[in-house]
Amino acid sequence: MNHTPTSCAALWVAACLISGCRESHPAAWERLPPKAIVAQADSATAARNAALEPGLLATIQAIPVERWKGPGERPFEVALRSAAPEAGHSRMFGTITLPIALRSRTAAISQYPCTSCHLGQKVVMANKRIQDAHNNIQPVHPDQTGAVCSTCHSDDDVALLTLKSGEQATLDESYRLCAQCHFPEAKTWAGGAHGKRLDGWQGRRVVMACADCHDPHNPVVQVRIPFRAPQIQRPRGHGQ
Amino acid sequence: MHLRPFLLSALKSATNGGWRYHLWMGILTSIILLGGYAYSVQWRYGLAVTGMNDQVSWGLYISNFTFLVGMAAAAMMLVLPAYILEDVDFGRAVLMAEAVAVAALVMALGFVVVDLGNPQGSWHLMPGIGYLNWPRSLLAWDVIVLNGYLALNLGIPFYILYSHYAGRAAAKHKYLPWMYISAMWAVSIHLVTAFLLAGLPSRPFWNNALLGPRFLASAFTAGPAFVILLLYFIRRTTRYDIAEGAFSKLALITVAAAQVNIVMLISELFYKFYSPTHHSINAQYLFFGIGEHHALVPWIWTGIGLNLLATVVLMIHPLRHNPRWLIPACATLFVGIWIEKGIGLVIPGFIPSPLGEIVEYTPTWVELCVTAGVWALGLFVLTVLVRVALPIELGDVRSPYLETPPAARAGRPRSTRPRYEDARPVRTR
Amino acid sequence: MTTDRTAEAQTGPEDPSLLQKRVDRRGALSILVGGLAAGAAAVGACAPLSAETDEEREVKLLAWREYIKGNYRVMTEEERAETIARLERLAQLQRGVDVTIQSTGAQPGVLFGYAFNVSKCKGFRRCIEACINENNLDRNADTQYIRIFEIEDGVVDLDRGDATFQHEVPAEGHFYLGTQCFQCADPPCVKVCPVGATWQEPDGITVIDYDWCIGCRYCMAACPYWARRFNWGAPEVPPEEVNPNQHYLGNRARKKGCVEKCTFCIHRSRQGRLPACVEACPTGARVFGNLLDPDSEIRWVLANKRVFRLKEDLKTEPRFWYFSD
Repeated sequence: MNHTPTSCAALWVAACLISGCRESHPAAWERLPPKAIVAQADSATAARNAALEPGLLATIQAIPVERWKGPGERPFEVALRSAAPEAGHSRMFGTITLPIALRSRTAAISQYPCTSCHLGQKVVMANKRIQDAHNNIQPVHPDQTGAVCSTCHSDDDVALLTLKSGEQATLDESYRLCAQCHFPEAKTWAGGAHGKRLDGWQGRRVVMACADCHDPHNPVVQVRIPFRAPQIQRPRGHGQ
Repeated sequence: MHLRPFLLSALKSATNGGWRYHLWMGILTSIILLGGYAYSVQWRYGLAVTGMNDQVSWGLYISNFTFLVGMAAAAMMLVLPAYILEDVDFGRAVLMAEAVAVAALVMALGFVVVDLGNPQGSWHLMPGIGYLNWPRSLLAWDVIVLNGYLALNLGIPFYILYSHYAGRAAAKHKYLPWMYISAMWAVSIHLVTAFLLAGLPSRPFWNNALLGPRFLASAFTAGPAFVILLLYFIRRTTRYDIAEGAFSKLALITVAAAQVNIVMLISELFYKFYSPTHHSINAQYLFFGIGEHHALVPWIWTGIGLNLLATVVLMIHPLRHNPRWLIPACATLFVGIWIEKGIGLVIPGFIPSPLGEIVEYTPTWVELCVTAGVWALGLFVLTVLVRVALPIELGDVRSPYLETPPAARAGRPRSTRPRYEDARPVRTR
Repeated sequence: MTTDRTAEAQTGPEDPSLLQKRVDRRGALSILVGGLAAGAAAVGACAPLSAETDEEREVKLLAWREYIKGNYRVMTEEERAETIARLERLAQLQRGVDVTIQSTGAQPGVLFGYAFNVSKCKGFRRCIEACINENNLDRNADTQYIRIFEIEDGVVDLDRGDATFQHEVPAEGHFYLGTQCFQCADPPCVKVCPVGATWQEPDGITVIDYDWCIGCRYCMAACPYWARRFNWGAPEVPPEEVNPNQHYLGNRARKKGCVEKCTFCIHRSRQGRLPACVEACPTGARVFGNLLDPDSEIRWVLANKRVFRLKEDLKTEPRFWYFSD
C-alpha cells in the first residue's frame, strides 16, 4: 500500500480545515468580517457621518451642552423637554409606542411651568418645609445631602437653578447643577456610558439631561413590574 | 446484456416468498405508511409537532442518525478481512454486511431529511445549482462522505452480484481499489459525524478529543452485533452457509470494541466528575439529574447496564461460541449502544442550554411514528437486498443468456488456495 | 428470452363480439389514450380545470419564483430588486399588509459594536417588548431574541441566573444581564452552515437569508450564546401589528422551517438609527455605535470602562461588551 499520496492528501485537507477555521487579527474588536469595506475614520468621514440626520433627529429641539464635550472633543446637545412638555419622550417600535425615558417628566410635574403660579416674581425661600403647594415633593435627596430648597433653586427666578459659581441655569440644563457634585456620573454621561442618546447612533448627538430620568428630589430608580417573562418551555404547536 | 434480466430477476426475488416473508414485509410496509402519515403532519404544521424546541434543537431524529452512521461504518469490519485480507470465513458474510451498511445509510440519510425544517430546499446543498459550504462546514463534509459511501456500498456489491449473475468471477482489479477506498471511507464517515459534534465549543458535552474514538468504538460494537444477528438468521432460515469462523471472529471484534467502549466511558466519567467544572453540567444532568430534572437518568444507567452485562457475557469464551448466549447478548448490546449513543449523547448536549436554561425533551407521537417509519424503511431495504443477493450467491439464479452452467468452467486454472468466488456456497450437511 | 408477440387482430366470418375481440399492443395503447383523452375532455367540459382566481395564480407564480431563486449574497442588484418586489407583493396578497423591504447595504467605514451596562439594567424587559414589535417576532411561540437574566450578586454565572423572574424589579441583592446575538467577529454559526445561508456583512452584522436556510439547525447547536431561534411552526403576526419598515436580511416575514436571530435592527441601524432595544431601554443601559469611529460612545466605553465579554475563552470575539458603573 502506498502511503505517501494518502498522507499528503490528508495533510492538505487538514491545512484547508485549519486555515479556514481561524483568522488572526490584531485587537479584540478590530477583527473584521471578510470583505469589510473600511474607510479611514478621518475628518471627511466624520463630516459625512455628522451630516446624516435620520428621521426624528432633525425634529428634536435641543440646545448645545456647555463645558462638557463628547468623545473626541465633539460637542453634543441636550434635548429640551420644556419645549414640548407633553411629549414625554416616547418612540414607535413597530406599531406600538413606548416611553423611552425612566420617567415621564411632565407627569411628575403637575405644576409646570413655575410661572403658572409664581408669575416671575421673587419667592422668599423659607429654608424649612412648611405646608405649602409643593407638599407633594418628597425631599429624599435634599435630606440625604443636607440641601435645602435654595441650594438648588434660585431665589431671584424660580424657574432657574442656581449654581455654585453664582451662575444660573435653566431647568433644561439640569446637568450643570448635578455635575457639581456628581462629577463621575457627568463624565460618563458626556462620554456616552450614562444616560440616553436619542434616535441615532450617527450624526447629531442629542442626549437626555439628568432630570429627564432622575427625579432630583428622589432620584432612586423606582421598582416596577417588568414586561412578561419568556416561556422557557416552548408552547405546543398544532397537532398536540 | 445481462442488466435487464438481472433487474427483473431481482424484482422477482424480492417479491416472491412464503407467507412469513409477506407478513414481515406487510408489517414493515404498514409501519412505513404510518411514518409517512406522521411525516405529512410534520410537513404541514412544521417541526412544531415534534418535542424539539429552541433549547433542545436536535432530538430523536439526529440521535438515530448518529447511531445509524456508526452502524454503516461497521460494515468495514467485514470488508477489510474479506476482500483485502482474503479471509475465507468472512467471504460469505461480507455481502450481507454491505447490505446492512446500505440499509443503515438509507436510514441515516432519511433521518437527516425528516429533521430538516425546509426539506424542499435540499437542492441548496448541491454544488453548482446551490452552494455547499465545503470545507468549513462539517455537515457539508458529512453530505459528501455519506453519499459517497452509499455509492461505494451500492456499486461494489452490485458489480460482484452482477458478475456472479452473469456467470463470471468478479474481476479483482476492478473492485479491489474501491474496496481499499471504502475501508478508509468507512472510518471517515463516522469520524466526520463525530467531528460534526466535537467541533462545537458551544457544547462542552461533545467538545472533547475522545468523542471521535468513542464513536468508532461504539460503532464497531453495535454494527458487528447486528450483523451477527442477521447472519444467524440467514444461516437458520436459508441454505446459505456462513462459516463458524465468521461468527467467532465477528463476536471477537464486537466484544473487543465493547470493552474499548467501556474503558472510554470510564475515562469520560472520571474526567467529568473528578473535578466537576461548568463544563460537566451536561454530564451531571445525564447521569444524576439537576434538581427535579432527571428524565434521562434511568435511560443512561439502563443503557450502561445492558452494555456491561452483554460485554461480560461475551467476554466468556464458551458463552461467546454458544448461539444461545451469543444472540441475546448481541441483541442486548445493540439496544444498549442505541440508548447510550442515541439518547445518551445528542440530547444531553443541549440540556442545560449554553445560557444555563434547563428544558427537557420528550418526543411526540409524530417523532416516534416517523422514527419507526424510517427504521421500517431501512429494514425493508435490508430485506430486499438480502433477498436479492442470496439466490445469486447460492447459485440458484443466473442470467438466461449464459450458455454454460455456472459450476463447470473448463480450462480455467484453479489455484489450490480456496478463493471465495469458487467456494461452494451450499451447506453439505 | 423471446419477445412477446400476440396474434394480430383477427377479423373473419365469425367476427367475434367487441368484448372478445383481440387487439395488438398498438391498438390497445391507442384505445387507452383515446379513452383517457375523451374522459379528460368530458371532465374539462363539465367543470373548469381549476377554480383559481387571478390572485391565487399570481401567488403560486410568485411562490415558485421565490422557491427557485439563489442565495441573496451572490445575487446581482437586479435579482435583489426582483426578489424584494416579489416579497412585497406576496405580503400584500397573502397577509394584506403593505410593507417596504430594504436592501440597504453596509455603510462603508462602519462596524457595529454594542455595550451593556449591568449596573444600569433593572430588568424591566422594555427592550424585549420593543424588539418583539419592531422585528415582527412570532406571537404564537412568543419568540424573543433578547434574554434578561436576574443573577445574584457575587457571581457572573448565567447558570445561576433566572430569566423567568416575574416580580417587582430591581430585586434586592440581584443584578441584571441581557443576552442576544453578539455578532461575533469569528462566528461559529457562519462556519457550520452547510449551505452558506448565514454570513457576516461588512458592517459586522451576521445575517441569514431565510429563504436559503434549509432548517438543519446546526448553527443553533454551534452558537455558544443561544442567540438563534427556529421557526418550529409558521410564524404569525397579526396584520395590524406588522412593522412595515423591513429589511430583506432582517425583520421581513419569515416562514416556518428557517432560523432567525437578532440583527441589531438592520433596517434601523443601516439608516443611522438606534436598534429598538437601545432606544427603548429606560435606564440607558445599552450603548450602540460604530467601532471604527474613534469618537463614538462605544469606543469611549471600551477605553474608559472595565469591560468583559461572555465566554471569552471560546475566542468567538463577540462585539457585545458588558461593563458596570
